[in-house]
Amino acid sequence: MQLAMTAPPGDPVVEGRVPGNRGIWVGILCELTEFALMFLAYAWFKWVHPEDFHRGPGMLNTASGVWNTVVMLTSGYFAVRALLAIRRNDSVAARNWLIGTLLGGIGFLAIKAYEFSWNVDHGVLGTGNSFVAIYYYLTFNHLVHVVWGCLGLIWAILRTGFGAYSPEDHEGLEAATLYWHATDLAWIVIFPLLYVVR
Amino acid sequence: MDRQARRVTWVWLGLVALTLGSAWLGEGLASTGVTAGLVALIVAVKGQLVIRHYMGLTGSGSRLRRLMCLYFVVVPLLIVLVGGAAAALS
Repeated sequence: MQLAMTAPPGDPVVEGRVPGNRGIWVGILCELTEFALMFLAYAWFKWVHPEDFHRGPGMLNTASGVWNTVVMLTSGYFAVRALLAIRRNDSVAARNWLIGTLLGGIGFLAIKAYEFSWNVDHGVLGTGNSFVAIYYYLTFNHLVHVVWGCLGLIWAILRTGFGAYSPEDHEGLEAATLYWHATDLAWIVIFPLLYVVR
Repeated sequence: MDRQARRVTWVWLGLVALTLGSAWLGEGLASTGVTAGLVALIVAVKGQLVIRHYMGLTGSGSRLRRLMCLYFVVVPLLIVLVGGAAAALS
């Protein structure tokens, strides 16, 4: 595995530089492996219970799924803008973009809370069928990763506010945003599996 | 707004547009198999965009980048397989 840094940390323009640090990439690869196993479980249950999965997306609040995806992608965009800001030594803008990223994460959690409440009101319960069980399994797991990501963002916001990052050294900020993007990547797959494909 | 910021803004708009396209496919306007194929394509494109432009994995020779990109080839293939099987059974 080629995880070694090939250029000084923080150099934004070096083509081929591995961003962040080894630790965060171990975490990201573990996260994506965990979700890959869940996608295999989804495929298996869909094979065994095709009728449940054919009716499944129609049982869910699709608008919540779409809004969650848009909020997650927008939050990821804010994270990139934070990184670009710190690279031009504008720590105030970087902190503000990170706060925007965190608000996106909180917005995601708020939409999820609304969706779960809507589910209860409409009888979409974990004991319903195999599709609903996989739906809760995937979304709760993803939600936990969003919470971890939010905690990492809070840490990066505080560190940025205290002036800990510079254009030359902002590895911690970059690692927090990378984890956020990995959580985004998982949702990019989860959204169509649960809300679109029948 | 500098060149990098402008580029990532366009990527964000593209990702949102692809998401809305996915949601439109969910309305059931196409057959199950076609929907699965289009959704898989959209997932692959969105994944590659995030890996390159959001995560900054740009080095074509990086094993890490290849591994991440491979993930967004294998998972869409799984969607096509499962969608195709569902279409055959329905």
